[in-house]
Amino acid sequence: MGESYKTKSEKHKMISKDFPGNRKSQSSFEYLLVVALTFAIIVPTSYIFYSYSKDSGQEIADAQITKIGTSIIDAAESAFHFGHGSKITLELNIPKDIAAVAIIDGRELIFNLTSPSGISEIVFFSTVNLTTEGSNCDANECKLPELASSGLKKVKVEAISRESINISII
Amino acid sequence: MYKKSQASLEFLTTYAWAFLMIAVSIGALYYFGVFDFTKYQPQKCAFPSQFKCTDFSLSTAPNEVKVKLVNNLGEEIEVTSLSITNDANPPILCLSASPEPPFNWEYSTEKDIVFSACSGGGFISDNRVELKISLRYYAINTPSRPIHTINGKINGRVI
Repeated sequence: MGESYKTKSEKHKMISKDFPGNRKSQSSFEYLLVVALTFAIIVPTSYIFYSYSKDSGQEIADAQITKIGTSIIDAAESAFHFGHGSKITLELNIPKDIAAVAIIDGRELIFNLTSPSGISEIVFFSTVNLTTEGSNCDANECKLPELASSGLKKVKVEAISRESINISII
Repeated sequence: MYKKSQASLEFLTTYAWAFLMIAVSIGALYYFGVFDFTKYQPQKCAFPSQFKCTDFSLSTAPNEVKVKLVNNLGEEIEVTSLSITNDANPPILCLSASPEPPFNWEYSTEKDIVFSACSGGGFISDNRVELKISLRYYAINTPSRPIHTINGKINGRVI
C-alpha cells in the first residue's frame, strides 16, 4: 500500500516535493488577494478624501473672502470716525478664486468668487462712502483690479474727505 | 520549434482569456454601480456664508427640493429670481418656486425655499443627485439696486 509518514512535517515536505507548483500558485493567489484588497481600500478612500478636500478648499476661500471684506469695511468705518486724513494699512492674503473686485454706489464692496457651482458675488455693505482712484471709476462703479489677483496685498484705507474713504493698493 | 510555438500560443491564449474575463467582470461591476463612490460621500448643502444653508431635503412624494437659508448679509434684500439645475441630460426642471420671486428678505432671518413639481435630472427615489441653486437679489438700501448672483450646491440622496 502507500507510504506511511512518521511526522506531519515530513508528510508536508513530501507533498511539496511531489507538487512544487501547488505551493507556488498558493503564494501567487495570496499575493493577488492582498493587492486586490489594498486597491479596494485605497481607491474609494482616495476618492472620498479628494472630494472632501475640494469642498473644504471652497469653504476656506469663502471664509478668507469674508475675513478680507469684513476687515476692509471695518477699517473704512474706523478711518471715517477717526476723521479726515486718517489712514489704516491692511495686509491681506488674497485667495486665488477671486475673479473681480468692485465698489458700487460707494456702499457695496463686491468680490466675484469662482466656485464649481459658478461665479458668486460676495457683497459687503458699508455705512460710509467708499471710493478708489478716479481712473478705475466709471459712473457708480469703481473697480479694484489689484485685489483680483492672488497673493499678499497691502491695502491703504484713507479718509480723504469728511464724506469719503479711499481704498487703494500700495 | 513547432512544440515551442504551440506552448507560446497556448500561453498567449490563456492570458487573452484571463484578460477578457477580467475586463468583462470590471465592466459588469461598473454597470451595477460598484465604482460609483459618490454614494459613500456625506450629503451636503454648500452656499457662501452670506446665505448659510442650515437644512435641506429632496423628496419624491411630492417631487420637491426644500432648502433653508439664512440671510447673513446684514442688509434687507429683494430676491428677484430663483433657479435650480444640474449637470444631467436633461437637467432637473422644477415648475415653481416658493416663495415666488420677487420677495423681500429681512436680514438675519431664515427662509424655506421650496422648488416644486421637479422632474428629470435623475430626480428619482434612492438616487444621489447634485443640484445647483442660483439666487439673484439686490439690496433695498443701495440706490442703483445692482443685481447680485449667489450660487449654491446640494449633494444628497432623493427619498
